[in-house]
Amino acid sequence: MITVAIAKGALLKDSVARFKAAGLDFSAVLDPDNRQLMIPSVCGRGRALLVRNADVPVYVTYGQAQLGVVGLDVLKEKQLPVAQLVDLGFGGCSMAVAVKEDSGYLRASDLPPHCRVASKFTHCARGFFDSIDLPVELVHLTGSVELGPITGIAEAIVDLVATGRTLRENGLVAIEEIFQSSARLIGHPLSLRLDRGELQSIVDLMRASEIDIAYPS
Amino acid sequence: MALQPPSGLTELNPQQVAKNYRITKHLADVYRLWGYSEVSPPRVDRLDTLMAGGAIPSTDIIKLVSDDPIGLRPEMTASIARAACTRLSEIPRPLRLWASGTIFESRQAAEGGHLIEEKLVSGVELLGSKGITAELELLSMLFEALKTVKLNKYHKPRLLIGHTGLMDLLLSKVEPSIKDNVRKYLIEYDRLSIEDIDESDEIKAELIQVMECRGETSKVLNTLKSIYGDQEVIDDLMRLFTQMIPLARGQDIDLQLDPTFQPHFELYTGLVFQLVCRGAASPVVIARGGRYDNLVYKSGEKKDQAAGVGFSFSIDEIRELMSEELESEPVEDIYLIAYGKTSNLEKALDFQRKLHNEGKIALVELEECNTEDEARFRLKARRCNRLEWLK
Repeated sequence: MITVAIAKGALLKDSVARFKAAGLDFSAVLDPDNRQLMIPSVCGRGRALLVRNADVPVYVTYGQAQLGVVGLDVLKEKQLPVAQLVDLGFGGCSMAVAVKEDSGYLRASDLPPHCRVASKFTHCARGFFDSIDLPVELVHLTGSVELGPITGIAEAIVDLVATGRTLRENGLVAIEEIFQSSARLIGHPLSLRLDRGELQSIVDLMRASEIDIAYPS
Repeated sequence: MALQPPSGLTELNPQQVAKNYRITKHLADVYRLWGYSEVSPPRVDRLDTLMAGGAIPSTDIIKLVSDDPIGLRPEMTASIARAACTRLSEIPRPLRLWASGTIFESRQAAEGGHLIEEKLVSGVELLGSKGITAELELLSMLFEALKTVKLNKYHKPRLLIGHTGLMDLLLSKVEPSIKDNVRKYLIEYDRLSIEDIDESDEIKAELIQVMECRGETSKVLNTLKSIYGDQEVIDDLMRLFTQMIPLARGQDIDLQLDPTFQPHFELYTGLVFQLVCRGAASPVVIARGGRYDNLVYKSGEKKDQAAGVGFSFSIDEIRELMSEELESEPVEDIYLIAYGKTSNLEKALDFQRKLHNEGKIALVELEECNTEDEARFRLKARRCNRLEWLK
């Protein structure tokens, strides 16, 4: 039995579509009335664990799920030993440093040393500011990070930016991109090493479906 | 909150300790049959020994506060290799040693901070033999020892085999400046990072092909031959597998050659392997080992004689994996000696001595019982299964 971990929320619909293209149909999770967290595939070969975004790599790390779909942002933040197999292309966004529009800061390196930076992604933020040799105090927030500069709790934020609309509507502007993120197919390394072709065929089909989407016939 | 052990450490209950004892005893019986002598390396050792000549990072070792740089052993091979090259250096080679005891692993906890894990291991070391014959003896003994664990078909045991020489071969075509990174990506099975390295498409495709290469060992070796040509390491592995395949088949163990498999500690310079079983929810590694000639050399042995191979079983993993099977093993009779008003404790102790002399497990009910029925009622509470009622 193949177990896959899929994230609730923005990545769910595309994740289900890509697994379906690889022969594992978990469409039942898209039913608004569904309350089940473990759903068998239509073919009976697999089952899906419906979990929170940040928990996908945790289930894969411990081997409870052999495969999973999660954003690169979560992988970079959690730093868990999972195998990155396919860039699935959807769920595109960027991890960026943003400040108040009228702050006058044009680049991250313009920020004053030891200023406060609010973020849900403190590991990514720490890595970035270390890379530009700028010491900052990180303030961990779990959501509505845009409020940081507005309330004055922080000079800047590090957050995911998709369309930029939330930033604009809150008077913020992105001044530096840290990395581009998209959904990744990940795997449990030991399960992949022990695989006799079953997992690999799913990985290959999911990679092929990415090409089909990019170059439709 | 009541007093608790440090985070990560577990206190075993008597049943778990009894199972550990049974598993280690059965394994030790096999080691002795093969002529191995028991040694007892220290749990606390000097950091320069524990770091195994740089193979084990200092961050993986739990240090102790002391004037000397010392720590708790994260594995036992380094201390045994040191002993073999110093106190035991006069003993003719090959030197066959076994040891069992706890090791201490240090890792980052999910919520931050460090976890210390204490694990029971039991394993062997064969020192002073450079040829493939040492690997053959080691793996044959691993299979024999495995019989005592009594795995069944559900567990689907599989021996995952790699070789540091194969990894060197894979990296031979890669630009030297990125070799360390590529090695890391291959070990982590990180295909996306391999696709991103600054190398030709041909080299990237080869690396991915080898990383994903699965199936019969002969097929994997032929794939490697087709890419890298005739190589000594491939010929050695072919010879090893020719001998090992029938042995493994006899015990329903799958052999799988995985060119990019390397263990966490960079202790090994040659064959590396781990024995993986199907667990209730995820694969479980129950044994690991390999060749560590460099470690023996760094421990003080002459270059031409520096050779060592070994493996160790993870007893805690086996206990959890085989929990049900171990429960069903026949239990020994345990006697409860109880007495009523017409007898006394002294007579009970005399009777206990008699049973002990017969090699039976017996304990005395210290409280006087009013009736035999009452004594029988206490049997279960005292975890005994036989009653001796002194009238």
